[in-house]
Amino acid sequence: MHVEIGVNAKRPLRLENPVLTASGTFGYGTEYAKIVDIQRLGAIVSKGITLHPRRGNRGPRIVETPAGMLNAIGLQNVGLRKVIEQKAPIWAQWDVPVIVNIAGDTADEFAYMAERLDGVPGVAALELNISCPNVWEGGRVVGDDAASSAAITAAVRQRTGLPIIVKLSPQIADICGAAKAVEDAGADAISLINTYVGMKIDTKTARPALANVTGGLSGPAIRPMAVWLVYLVSQVVSIPIIGLGGIASAEDALEFIFAGASAIQVGTMTFVEPRTGLRIVEELPAAAASRGYDSVAEMVGLAHQARRS
Amino acid sequence: MKLFTATVIENEEIMPATHVLTLDAGSAAYNAAPGQFLHIRCGSGGWPLLRRPMSVYRTEGRTVQLMVRDVGEGSHLLVQSKPGDELDCLGPSGCGFRLESKARNLLMVGGGYGVAPLVGLAERAIARGANVTLAVGAATDALVFPASLLPEEVEYLVATDDGSAGHHGLVTDLLPDRLPWADAVYSCGPLPMTATLARIMRERAPRTPGQVAMEERMGCSMGVCLGCVVETRKGPMRVCTDGPVFRVGDIVWREGAQGPDA
Repeated sequence: MHVEIGVNAKRPLRLENPVLTASGTFGYGTEYAKIVDIQRLGAIVSKGITLHPRRGNRGPRIVETPAGMLNAIGLQNVGLRKVIEQKAPIWAQWDVPVIVNIAGDTADEFAYMAERLDGVPGVAALELNISCPNVWEGGRVVGDDAASSAAITAAVRQRTGLPIIVKLSPQIADICGAAKAVEDAGADAISLINTYVGMKIDTKTARPALANVTGGLSGPAIRPMAVWLVYLVSQVVSIPIIGLGGIASAEDALEFIFAGASAIQVGTMTFVEPRTGLRIVEELPAAAASRGYDSVAEMVGLAHQARRS
Repeated sequence: MKLFTATVIENEEIMPATHVLTLDAGSAAYNAAPGQFLHIRCGSGGWPLLRRPMSVYRTEGRTVQLMVRDVGEGSHLLVQSKPGDELDCLGPSGCGFRLESKARNLLMVGGGYGVAPLVGLAERAIARGANVTLAVGAATDALVFPASLLPEEVEYLVATDDGSAGHHGLVTDLLPDRLPWADAVYSCGPLPMTATLARIMRERAPRTPGQVAMEERMGCSMGVCLGCVVETRKGPMRVCTDGPVFRVGDIVWREGAQGPDA
């Protein structure tokens, strides 16, 4: 069940299983430890960290939508220094690797954070949040085209030996171009996908349900779109893809794996059923075996093969 | 706080569209305090998606009671629960009301279904020998919480929007008369009521300790998604973990600070 990310990185990341938690849905890891055995997960991806602490957006910040939810948290986080001083020492004691998600306003900021996190015990890898739609007006994202995505990746690559995962927005203009560009710029893996921009209007008040007007849509509603983009992008890059978007079960995880993902993340569904990630860890080996496969790795991208009769 | 399955023992409609669900919650019930909540999956299948937070109304031994008003997709399913149904629960969660140890005269102010946690709180306060006045506001007399469900020792004051019972007006209209008597105030209800209560206390009883239960849409209830924040003097605080109960003076009531309707 194990997965390797960053085979050629100075510090390659070996995950015991392909089930990770999605950034923003698992805090800094300690909270859910009270009710589930987090050490059995493949990895935890932390809340998105910014250079300075952020208070986030005014509320209301979330609203449920059919089979999903919109969030406009606005990257509320404790800031880089507190993560290094207070969170990382806890992570260093854990078996489960912790991947730190970082969000900057500029390529320089990303690079600076990467350099500060490089070599910090407890930090196993970085996920670059170049696609969060909630901190700029109208849902724009900082890495909104191939060139800027690549520039951020290259800047980070220069300053760290940690495995680098780049999390792409599904609404980037040329997602295949961006994926190839970040691979060339030194990314070790790509997370697909971040949330989609959406809004909900409260029909009782005729006002937007979110104070931020727009939010990012996540949950089962976006799964078909996420599966498609994994299927598409896996055809143009050779680095591993980590698939996410409404995964709720081992069956859903298989969809992403067959589409071309080597690993998956569980996000929104953790709120609904906190045991979702661990259930997938438990059920995936049997799901593979019942299909005649010894490992998840053998199933990656099966959907691309010629149809079996 | 844990993930557990509760069994529905009874479902009783005590007011229009308002049900008391009695649950066998096992050991999870023992620590449940008024002001805390259970985060419950409603319905089977994936709709509605997110759990719904339901305030603890009363507890007794292994049982937890919830007072659920049918106001949305989740509560609409919950009020249809039958004895024997199993509910997937996460909790009890949050910081509940804390009875101030030196307070003898307790003023409790409830609006609409916000009365729920105050009932259990009133019972505990009476058991400790405190004097309790419970003031409740409701739209109309049919939605006034039944006096028969309160301990006899509670002084019960009622206000209705339409004047069909008690004072014709807002429950907060009753505050100025009662505040001088109160050693502590406990409140749970809609944002506009809570904002008004906070203002009146600031103006007339700035040194009286007050605790208010806040409500906000919830995602995880575990303190990680940061969706349920309210504005406080210490910055955004999570209703699910730092609350639901806050000190009244900590909440920031700048216009629009607590959402579009505050």
